[in-house]
Amino acid sequence: MSGRAPRAHRLLAIAAATLGALALVAGGAGATRQGVDVVALAREVEAEADHVTARELAAWIRDGREGLRIVDVRTPAEFADYAIPTAENLSLTALTRAAIRPDETVVLYSEGGAHAAQGWFLLRARGVKRVYFLREGLYEWLTQVMTPVLPDGASAADRAAFDSAAELSRYFGGVPRAGGGASVDGDASAALPGASAEGGSAAAVRRVRRRGC
Amino acid sequence: MTLPFLASDAGAAGLGVALAVGVAFGWGLERAGLGNARRLAGQFFGTDFTVLKVLFSAIVTAMLGVFWLAQMGILDPARVYVPETWLLPQAVGGALFGVGMVAGGLCPGTSCVAAAAGRRDGLAVMGGMLAGILLFAAAFPLIDQLYEATPAGTLTFPDLLRVPPGTVVAAVVAMALGAFAGVEAFERRAALRPGGAS
Repeated sequence: MSGRAPRAHRLLAIAAATLGALALVAGGAGATRQGVDVVALAREVEAEADHVTARELAAWIRDGREGLRIVDVRTPAEFADYAIPTAENLSLTALTRAAIRPDETVVLYSEGGAHAAQGWFLLRARGVKRVYFLREGLYEWLTQVMTPVLPDGASAADRAAFDSAAELSRYFGGVPRAGGGASVDGDASAALPGASAEGGSAAAVRRVRRRGC
Repeated sequence: MTLPFLASDAGAAGLGVALAVGVAFGWGLERAGLGNARRLAGQFFGTDFTVLKVLFSAIVTAMLGVFWLAQMGILDPARVYVPETWLLPQAVGGALFGVGMVAGGLCPGTSCVAAAAGRRDGLAVMGGMLAGILLFAAAFPLIDQLYEATPAGTLTFPDLLRVPPGTVVAAVVAMALGAFAGVEAFERRAALRPGGAS
């Protein structure tokens, strides 16, 4: 080894130490996340890989999918009124700071779908990989899971799909209906636990519908 | 392929860049002496620390480059691919890889470098590597459960330790400089011993 080499090594070591020490000062929170690959996110949205349907979510809950975390981004009052089983309540601001493990699958929902979709982008921008939202929000849960309807004159395929949806619905205490509004299981308000009370899901459906979602 | 400096649809130009970077990487490995199987095996027996010095230098150089280019807004770190972690299959694969590396004295990259430099052991290791790939593909139906086991997603130290990236950068630089100083001191002592390393 020549006499100059150790000197060059020392200079390189000093340069590395200086840049490393400056990094300690410069490296604010999330510095590696400052860039968001908007092209990749746009492709995910176009590929419809950004959301799940309410029935898919219901099946995940029923099957006890590992690492499933359902986040309700509505207000605490709305959350207390009615929420999807096993959901937790976090505001969008809290969501940006929430600790999310890499093995967790996060499903976001709001009243309609806009806030949850915005939450999806916030989490994806944070680098969280497995995030989905309910496209039509709680409304979709209430209509597709809690009160699925089999229209008059349905085909055999429709009927088969309805049967599995109805089974899922009953698991969550819902009221599937066949044809012009008659409940398959009898009277809806009687079958739904707490349906007559203002906090029940039937009442929640009515409220959501009134808002014109 | 990670091409954080190029447009997402770089295509053939991206492959050209990859080839140029690959050739430069191979040239660097050969210049550092890592095309030599004895030198690589020496790392595992504690008689030659070239591998540690070269690879730790490369890690620190790349890390400081990525960090500071990102800080200056030149490089978008979100476009740097972070491989996902599967703990169990990667531990098993890592152990197998280590055994092969000590036995053959070369890793996949350095075997190509050794072969390109005209060393026949490099060709032998490349042959073994290709045979291993075929064996893996043929045996995949038997081991696909292990392959998919214990997924942990993409893990990075700043996320795991909940510290700013700059803190991790500083810590890795300190580790590297400490390791270099320690290894050099060890080598000087070994050289002074009668019959010690040259």
